Amino acid sequence: MVRRWLVAMTAVVMVFALVLAACSGKKESSSQPSASPSASTGGQSSSSDQSGSRDKVTFRMFVAVQGEKDVNTNETVIGKILEEQTGVNFRIEHLVGDLQTKIGTMVAGKDYPDVLVPDDGIETVIKAGGFIDLTPYIDNDKYPNIKKVYGPYKNLMTWDDGKIYIFPFSVVVNDYIGDPNINQGAFWIQRRVLEWANFPKIKTVDQYFQLIEDFINAHPNEDLIGFITLTDGWRFFATTNVPNHLAGYPNDGEVMVDMNTFEARIYAGTEWDKRWWQKLNELNAKGLFYKASFTDNYDQYIANLTSHKVLGFFDYGWQVGNATAVLNDAARADPSQDGYRYFPLPVVFDENIKDQYLDPIGYVANRGFGITVNAKDPERIIEFIDHLLKEETQILLNWGIEGETYIRDSNGRLTRTQEMIDKMDQKFLEEYGFTVFDWDWPHWGSNSTLSDGNAVIPGMQPEVFQLSLTDADKKFLSAYGVKSYAELFADPDPRPWFPAWGIPRDEERQLFEALKGDVQREYLPKLVLSKPEEFESIWNQYVSALNRLDIAGYEKWYTEKVQAVMAKAQGQ
Amino acid sequence: MEHPLMLKPTSAATVDTKTGGLKRFFRLLWKQRALVLMSVPFVLWLFLFRYVPLWGWIISFQDYQLGKGLWDQEWVGFKQFEALFNEPRFWRALRNTIVMSFINLVLGFTTAITLALLLNELRQIVFKRVVQTISYLPHFISWVVAAGIIQVTLAPDGIVNELLLRLGLIKDELLFLGIGEWFWGIYGVSIVWKDVGWNAIIYLAAIAMIDPSLYEAAEMDGANRFRKMWHVTLPGIRPVIVVLLILNIGYLLESGFEPQFLLGNGMNMRYSENIDIFVLKYGIQLFNFSLAVAAGMFRTVVSVILLVIANSIARRLNETRLY
Amino acid sequence: MAEAATVTRRKRRHRFRMSLGDQIFETCNYLALILLMVVTLYPFLNTLAVSFNDAQDSIRGGIYLWPRKWTLENYRFVFEEASILNATLISVLRTVIGTVLTVFFSAMVAYTISRPEYVLRKFVTIAFILTLYVNGGLIPNYLLIRELNLIGTFWVYILPGLIGAFNLIIIRSFIENLPDNILEASKIDGAGDYRTFFHIVLPLCTPVLATVSLFTGVWQWNSWFDVFLYNSSYEHLSTLQYELQKILSFSQASIQRVDFNAAAAQGGIGQVTPYAIRATMTIVASVPIIMVYPFLQKYFVQGMMIGGVKE
Repeated sequence: MVRRWLVAMTAVVMVFALVLAACSGKKESSSQPSASPSASTGGQSSSSDQSGSRDKVTFRMFVAVQGEKDVNTNETVIGKILEEQTGVNFRIEHLVGDLQTKIGTMVAGKDYPDVLVPDDGIETVIKAGGFIDLTPYIDNDKYPNIKKVYGPYKNLMTWDDGKIYIFPFSVVVNDYIGDPNINQGAFWIQRRVLEWANFPKIKTVDQYFQLIEDFINAHPNEDLIGFITLTDGWRFFATTNVPNHLAGYPNDGEVMVDMNTFEARIYAGTEWDKRWWQKLNELNAKGLFYKASFTDNYDQYIANLTSHKVLGFFDYGWQVGNATAVLNDAARADPSQDGYRYFPLPVVFDENIKDQYLDPIGYVANRGFGITVNAKDPERIIEFIDHLLKEETQILLNWGIEGETYIRDSNGRLTRTQEMIDKMDQKFLEEYGFTVFDWDWPHWGSNSTLSDGNAVIPGMQPEVFQLSLTDADKKFLSAYGVKSYAELFADPDPRPWFPAWGIPRDEERQLFEALKGDVQREYLPKLVLSKPEEFESIWNQYVSALNRLDIAGYEKWYTEKVQAVMAKAQGQ
Repeated sequence: MEHPLMLKPTSAATVDTKTGGLKRFFRLLWKQRALVLMSVPFVLWLFLFRYVPLWGWIISFQDYQLGKGLWDQEWVGFKQFEALFNEPRFWRALRNTIVMSFINLVLGFTTAITLALLLNELRQIVFKRVVQTISYLPHFISWVVAAGIIQVTLAPDGIVNELLLRLGLIKDELLFLGIGEWFWGIYGVSIVWKDVGWNAIIYLAAIAMIDPSLYEAAEMDGANRFRKMWHVTLPGIRPVIVVLLILNIGYLLESGFEPQFLLGNGMNMRYSENIDIFVLKYGIQLFNFSLAVAAGMFRTVVSVILLVIANSIARRLNETRLY
Repeated sequence: MAEAATVTRRKRRHRFRMSLGDQIFETCNYLALILLMVVTLYPFLNTLAVSFNDAQDSIRGGIYLWPRKWTLENYRFVFEEASILNATLISVLRTVIGTVLTVFFSAMVAYTISRPEYVLRKFVTIAFILTLYVNGGLIPNYLLIRELNLIGTFWVYILPGLIGAFNLIIIRSFIENLPDNILEASKIDGAGDYRTFFHIVLPLCTPVLATVSLFTGVWQWNSWFDVFLYNSSYEHLSTLQYELQKILSFSQASIQRVDFNAAAAQGGIGQVTPYAIRATMTIVASVPIIMVYPFLQKYFVQGMMIGGVKE
């Protein structure tokens, strides 16, 4: 009897569960408003400027890149101060899984948070009408700080439909200051190689490989690897971009832009490309190239860089941070390990080419921070942004609190004491809020300076950089007669469209890039690993595979875009 | 124990519903209301959660733009399908998918069944339990971690090369993952390694349900170990094998995604790129959901055809069938 | 009955000792299985070793079976997350509730479609089987869940995957495989479908139900995609696997931020690396579920005493 009732009940449990779920779902979702109920009063007016006395409000922010822990900004030291000043708190959520899935469902269900950093999903969100138009706020005297920071970029920020949807991240305020470190592209070489050769000046790729070869010949028993390259997944561009840099161009993505005609040309399949792959082919024939470069994953690549066996590689500094950190730590603990660290070199094809490794003053159009159509109180968010962009707030976000995380010396220069630097481990940075407010917000671009000439970002401040140098660092830098690594490199020429990869591409262009990438994935290993006498025929296959794609259409599209940016930039 | 809900057995109920007409059908339904109650609510659930979302197939005939309503989309007819079928890479991906599925099917089945049989022959219960527990451990390691281990193992300085060099079988290290033709083999070994223990569980369960008296009877007849395996154990688990086989034949266009994606690279792309990867690269990553759905529909059609064929073959052979 | 079985087993063992073929088989069998154990234990031991090794040291590679630089830092990093406790609770809940409901309901439906006389048998069977091969796709599924107001609820973990056709078919084929006379006998005894299901089918099918429980339990425990898709903003409903994914995600991100961090002077920015965190989370997530196995194991390692149930 009991059993029977059990069955009868279970059979309908499902129906009940559904109903229940539906109800509780409603309750849940209504208790999860984008702005907490207390915010409703502060909604309509933007007239009151005494923000401190206003109701507290929490906005939801979604950042579509892997990032920090999900926090409430007011749980950090800096965020707490900002909340006291403005009454605004943000609940931040970062992407965990696949971007296309998350943005796809968000857009399909119109389940936007209040503010969204869409990363790669930007085109999709804008096309779907997910962002509000920011135009009225950019050049508005009510928001003097927004006006100051973004006003000059208004033209560039305008989308094809004449509206502005995002606050980009890379705008430079006041004077430009360069990064003393090399976090972007460079040819790297083990420091002991340079020391062994008595700090030679290396300019061309031939000199670079010759030095590596000589070193290996002098150390035959160490089982050394001459050159290695990174090919894993999306990081493949660290391999394909090389000929572009060797030819004296900065990282504009798939294209190099002619400085006279402003025409965008693909460099894959060009003579530059051929020269580089032939060079690697020769290197491989000599047994100096690491063959497994084409099958290794990123972890294996990093493991190789820390194995002390790899003498040279090309990569972007930020991509090998993990390896350099290990090597740096080892060298700090034991200076005799210093020779295994890597030194950046601005290598080019020929003596007469001026290197352009350092990023020009750039503007990335397709990354930014937008306010969604679901935002309950956009004005309040705009006010908060205006507050963020104040100079004092920028100091707070980047330098912290005077006496705690930075000091001002007698000349008015901002710097840090060794003691302060020592306490700044990952946990400290998180709890203080430095990592929470570092990139995903409207901010003064990393190359900006304060009105008194100090760098906005501590890492860019020469004094802080000098503090970071070890004795060995100083020895190397002075051997080359420079004060920072960046000084080894030529100054960047102005390129208003830079970086061309930051120009949002339409579906056809994205498809082209996917196809082109696959052709390269398939042929580049063959080009490098084949016997030298086979190189020519594989090269021809490679070029004909590339030519099957609509290169002309892509170049035409890109040229138009570059020239449009030029026009916009000159229009200011 | 008499109760209206408690039916008398309806053992002779293979009633001819066709001739009986609707009335008869409903009368039978009423008679079997216990069974109806035990299954129909779940069919309703099924329709809601599994069949209702099939409206999404419509978007394969559109150029679906996220954020616009379903009916505001641009209709493009069979454009997405044409894009798929006109792309030689798609056919290559299809070939790779089928080959790897087939490897998966054959190797997966034989190894799992063999393992179950071998485990069943162990009379040392402790050892048996230990082997079983350990052999299924790799299942709990994500493919990312597992692929990392495979890559380190197969690296030029990895243990496989080391071993082959020591044995003098090769002169230079081999770049295992760089030889396209070997990818399928590496894939096959990897999936067996990762899931053989896990896959064997179902057969162990099937063996456990074999009536012990059958073994006793076989022993009476003087059957040895192998004869019992052949005449009692295997026939005992055969229905399960057949059903799983049919189900998996329907999955011939699903060869998984992660191992191919993680172990694949430019050098083995011609052999590793399957439909999943193709759809990811040229559909989802470009936010082209229409293409992804079109590929999904193509798969469904092929799967259902394969399923029907497999099932009717099973029926001809008088085997257990799926439906 | 049970006694008789032990007796025969003992007899069997005795007889086997005679044959040479058997001895060869026995040896080969043990060797093969030991080899298998070595190969399948390795990845786990390797992961364990990496999880206890200093993260910065691990990225140099070369960790195999034993840590080079012992540390508990990776575990500290994972368990430091305040959310882990609640997430584990949710994981346990979804695993237990999900498994119990799934197994029970699947067995029930499986029983109905194993009855040859059931008029809807073919319809129900095909309706379920087809779902193995049709899929509306990501967005329609998401919109459905959204329309049903399941987003932000616990039930989104249970309802959409309640009955898998695969499990259903497996259970059915086991029921069909039961000796005919048992089910027939129960019918002749006058038992209805409920009684047959509860008193005959459920107890007799313990091995397959244990198997399906294992499949479902592991699937529930390991799921994080549904959390990602539906409940990522509802922290109180987050699961262990999702929290671990998050930790992995920010361990990945922390590496690439080197230049923007205030302390540009520092070398080792984060003490953890994705490689170490992946290993640690593998252990943290899999050990609890692996522990369950021995408890289920007895249901399919030893044969069933069918007679025992009949009495």
